[in-house]
Amino acid sequence: MKKLFVAFVFMLIPTMFYAQSVFTKFEDKADVTSVIVNKKMFQLMGQMKMDPKDKDAQQYLNLVKKLDNLKVFTTTNTKNANEMKATVDGYLKANPLEELMRINKDGSNVKIYTKQGATPTQLKELLMFIEGNKTETVIVSLTGSFDMNDISVLTDKMNLPGGPELKKAAAKKQ
Amino acid sequence: MKRTIALLALTSLLFTSCSSEPTLQKYFVDKAEDKNFLALDIAPSFIKTDKMQLTPEEQTALKSLKNVNIIAFKANDKNMGAYEKELGEVKKILKDDSYEELIKFNRGAMGASINTKGEGQNIEELVLFANDKTNGFGVVRVTGENMTPNNVMTIVGLLQKANLDMDQLKPLQAMIERK
Repeated sequence: MKKLFVAFVFMLIPTMFYAQSVFTKFEDKADVTSVIVNKKMFQLMGQMKMDPKDKDAQQYLNLVKKLDNLKVFTTTNTKNANEMKATVDGYLKANPLEELMRINKDGSNVKIYTKQGATPTQLKELLMFIEGNKTETVIVSLTGSFDMNDISVLTDKMNLPGGPELKKAAAKKQ
Repeated sequence: MKRTIALLALTSLLFTSCSSEPTLQKYFVDKAEDKNFLALDIAPSFIKTDKMQLTPEEQTALKSLKNVNIIAFKANDKNMGAYEKELGEVKKILKDDSYEELIKFNRGAMGASINTKGEGQNIEELVLFANDKTNGFGVVRVTGENMTPNNVMTIVGLLQKANLDMDQLKPLQAMIERK
């Protein structure tokens, strides 16, 4: 009995450390478009030399150094969309994040959640879930230690979905 | 007697530690003979720089580059089964052979990833992997020493301005034309 318990605890440990990995199952799905950027990539990007006069590039570099992980999943398949919603709900239950804002626009429902760091504008995690009734359903998950204000740079440079919504959220934070 | 056992145990340990895991290098060697595959080795001399004035930066970047191996699987109607199998194998190797995944992209039957091996910003191996169900998949393995992100960028810049030795790429061109 005791052995069983110990085994069970060990089984749970990885799920505790890799809380983020709940979304991993979407990575290889055929109907899901996914983009995963890992910490190492951000580290390497941060090492690149860029024109010191280019302010945008510098701001971008500064942000990149602070990021750990970026995951974006999009789908138009209803079944996958439902599964995404369930996963996001489950994830929020297990890891309570603060709801930053909620936007309803043109039939799609945008929710942005954050985990605060040391200061109010310092974030450890940002999760955006766009539930599209007829259009795309999107999950954006960003972890690291970054500033809400930096995010607009990222959405501009990387052309992420939900960019305008994130900008509004950043303005609200200030 | 005890000593022999200890020695035996030690040697067996040595053997298990170095042989069991399939590596990408081994995969390249194995598949070079396979008719579904096309294998290609490119030496750094591919970039013709003898007539160019290189900056010190470009020289170090070139020196950090050792070899480029390419392997490509040509998909057609008949080898779909093999495609799925080999694709799974490459994915598994990339996961097991201690590569660090930098970036991954997936869309339907298409996908691409960039993986590296090495410590910190000193990259020893850079692996580009792209797959597409209608065309097949390709793995580009770049080996070198201390390839830093800056060196990689410098090499990309060189590729754009230097003369390239296209003869080395002929087999690849032939394959594309065969389609």
